[in-house]
Amino acid sequence: MKRNIKLLALLVAVSMIFSLAACSSSNVSEDSTSSSTAVQSTVASGSSQEPVTLSFIHMFPNEDTEGNSIAFHKAMEKFKADNANIKINEEPLSHDNYETKVRTLAAGNELPDIFIVKGSMTSMFIDNKLINPVDDVLNADADWKNSFLQGAFDDFTVGGKNYGIPFQMLNTHLIYYNKKLLNDAGISTFPANWKDFLDAINKLKAKGITPISLGNKGNWVAESCILSTLGDRFTGPEWFTSIKEKKGAKFTDPEFISALAALQELAKVGAFNSDLNSIDNMQQKTPYYNGKAAMFMEGNWAISNVINDAPKDIQENTELALLPAVDGGKGDPMENSAGGAWAYNVNSELEGAKLTAAFKILKAVTDADYAKIAVESNAFPASNPKDVDKSKLAPLSSKYLELASKIKAVPIYDAQLSADLIQVMNTGLQQLLINNISPEELAKKIQAEYEK
Amino acid sequence: MASKTLRPKGRVIAAYLAPGLLIYCFIVIIPLIISLIYSFYNYSGGASMKFIGLKNYQYLIKDMDFWNSFKNNLVIILLSMVGQVGIALVITALMISKLLKFKAIHRNIIFLPVVVSAIVVGFLWTIMYNKDYGLLNFVLKSVGLGSLIRPWLDNPKYVMFSVSMPIIWQYIGFYLVIFLSAVQGISPDIYESADLDGAVGIKRSVYITIPLLKDTLKVAVMLCIAGNMKIFDHIYVMTGGGPGTSSMVMAQYAYINSFIMFKLGYGSAISIGILVLSLTLILLSRKLWGGKDNEA
Repeated sequence: MKRNIKLLALLVAVSMIFSLAACSSSNVSEDSTSSSTAVQSTVASGSSQEPVTLSFIHMFPNEDTEGNSIAFHKAMEKFKADNANIKINEEPLSHDNYETKVRTLAAGNELPDIFIVKGSMTSMFIDNKLINPVDDVLNADADWKNSFLQGAFDDFTVGGKNYGIPFQMLNTHLIYYNKKLLNDAGISTFPANWKDFLDAINKLKAKGITPISLGNKGNWVAESCILSTLGDRFTGPEWFTSIKEKKGAKFTDPEFISALAALQELAKVGAFNSDLNSIDNMQQKTPYYNGKAAMFMEGNWAISNVINDAPKDIQENTELALLPAVDGGKGDPMENSAGGAWAYNVNSELEGAKLTAAFKILKAVTDADYAKIAVESNAFPASNPKDVDKSKLAPLSSKYLELASKIKAVPIYDAQLSADLIQVMNTGLQQLLINNISPEELAKKIQAEYEK
Repeated sequence: MASKTLRPKGRVIAAYLAPGLLIYCFIVIIPLIISLIYSFYNYSGGASMKFIGLKNYQYLIKDMDFWNSFKNNLVIILLSMVGQVGIALVITALMISKLLKFKAIHRNIIFLPVVVSAIVVGFLWTIMYNKDYGLLNFVLKSVGLGSLIRPWLDNPKYVMFSVSMPIIWQYIGFYLVIFLSAVQGISPDIYESADLDGAVGIKRSVYITIPLLKDTLKVAVMLCIAGNMKIFDHIYVMTGGGPGTSSMVMAQYAYINSFIMFKLGYGSAISIGILVLSLTLILLSRKLWGGKDNEA
C-alpha cells in the first residue's frame, strides 16, 4: 500500500511538472503574441476623425523573414503612423496555422473584420454571404486598380465579379536546379523537351544523385507545384477554362490522363526520392542544399528561402527553369501556373466608417507603394511597383524577374478549383506517385467528385 | 442503509449534482446533439444550410474511404490490444517477480511517454523513421541489416504498422500502472497459499494473477478500444493519413471532410458514425468477454 502511494505521488509530481512546463511555455507564447498584438496604434488626442477599431487576422508573423511579411510590416507601420484614429487589433499566424484558423472561423461564421481568403475558398465564402465583391471600391480608385498585374484577380473572380484584393503574384511552379551537378552529369543546357528531360534524370541517377527532391507530405506540393503546370503542357489553358465553367471538359479526357501518366512516369523512372510522401516542402530543400539532389520544384516563394538558407556555393549555382514541352501537348512551354492564390477581403457585415477604414488599410498593403517595398524585400507583389532600386535585389531574384517577365500565367489548380475536389486530387496524387493507383483510375475518381 | 433523517433532501442532491451535470451537458451532450442535427444538412459552415434528410448517411454507408479508415482503426486496436495490453501484462508479471531489479526506475521510465504530448511523440517517431538520418535505419545499417531498410512511412503495405508503433510505445505505461495497482490490490494471503500449493513463477501468473485481474483487464480492453477509435494526433503528425488514404483513421476523415473540404454536414455524419461504431465495438467486446459471467 505504501508503495502504491509513493508511486501515485511520483506520478502526480511528474504530471504536474509536465503540466507546469506546458503552462509556462504556453504562457510565454501567449505573452509574445499579446505583445506582438500590442502593436496597436492608439487614438491620438488631436485627431479630428472618429476613432475606429478593426480586427485583422493575417499570415505575417513579426519574426518571419519571408519577403511578404517584411513588406507587410513596413507598410503597416507607415499606415499606423499616418492614421492614428484607426486602431487595428492584429492576430498574426504562420501560413499553415492561418489556413486552418480561417477555415474554422468561416465555418463558425466568426470571421474578423479583415482577413485573407484563398482562391479555392472564395465560392464557399460567397455561398455563405461572408464576403462581398470589391469592384465598387476598386473602380472608385483608378490608380489603385490599374496598378495590379494582369491575371492577379483571376483566382477570386466569380461570375465576373472580383471577391478579393490580391497582394502577391505567385508562380507555383519553378524548377530550381543546380547547374554544376547537371554539368557534371553531362547536361550542359536545361532540357527543352520531355525526352531529354527523362534522359537527364537517368544521367543524374547514374551519378548517384537524387534527380528531383520532392516533399509531398502536405499533399499539395505535387499538385500545386508540378501538376498545375504539367497538366497545362498537355491540356492547354482552354481545357481548364472549360472545366471551371463546367462546359464539357472532363478530368477523364485523354490529355489530362496523359499528364497524370507523365507524372507517374517520372516517379517510375526514379526521378524522386523514395520518401517523397513522408517529408514536407521545407525538408525537400535539405538534400538540394546539401548537394545531394539536383533539382526541386516549388513556387517563387522558395526564392527567399534559397537566398536566406542555402549555402553560398549552392546558391551561386542555382538556376531557374520551367518544365519542358511535351510531345503533342496543347500547352505553350512558357505557360506556368500563376496567380494571386490569397487575397484580402473584409467582413460582409462591415459598414460606414469601419468599412472605409478597412479598405484604407487594404490599399496600404496592396498598392504600388507597397509593391516597391515588397520587391525590395525579395517578394513578388500583385501590383506593379514604382521605380525599384535593382541593386537591392539578390541575384536569384533578378534571374527570377527576368524569367517571370516571359511567363504566360495559367491557373493554379488549388487556387481555382473547389476545396473538396482538390482534396480528392491531392490524396490521389500521393498514391499515383507510389504507383498505387493508375492514371485512369485517379482521373475517374476526380471526375466522380467533380460531378457531385 | 442510510436512515431517512440522514438522507439530504432531493433539492440538495440536485444542487450538488447540477454543476457537474451542466458542464457535462455543455461539452458532451449539446455538441453531440448539434452534430446530429448538422448531419441531416448539406452544410458548409456559415449561413446556408439545406436539409437533405438521411442523404449524408446513405452516402456514408457506401463511402469506401470511410470504411477503409474504419479498417485502419481496427488494425490499430488489434495491434494495441497485443502491444499495449499484452506487453503491459508481461511487464506487470516481471515487476511482481523477483527477477527484476531496480523496479522503481523501470516503472518510471516506462510511464514517462504517457505524459508526453502526442504531437511530440509523432514528431519524434517521424524523425526516427526518416530515410536518411533516422535512428531506425541507422541502427539497422550498423548491425548489418541494411537490406531491411524500408521507406517506413511511404509504403501503404506497412504504413499502418509504422504508425501504430509510437501509439503502442506511448501507452504501455498507462496500462502498466493500471495493472500494477490492481496486482497490489490482490491479497497477499492468496499468494501465500499459492506458494504452499507449489504455484510459483509462470504458474502463479497464469493461475492466480491473471484470473484475479480479469475485471481490470476488461476495463483495459475497453479503454484500449475507446482510445484507439478516436486516435488522431499521432497519425495527423506522422503521415497526415498518407500515402493517399492508406493510414487514414476515422477521426481524421471527419476532420478533413469538415474543415478541409468544407462539408460540415457530412463531417458530422461521419462523427455520428464513429460514435455508433465505437459503442457497437465496446458492447460487442463486453458481450464476448462477459458471456459466462452473470454480470453483463
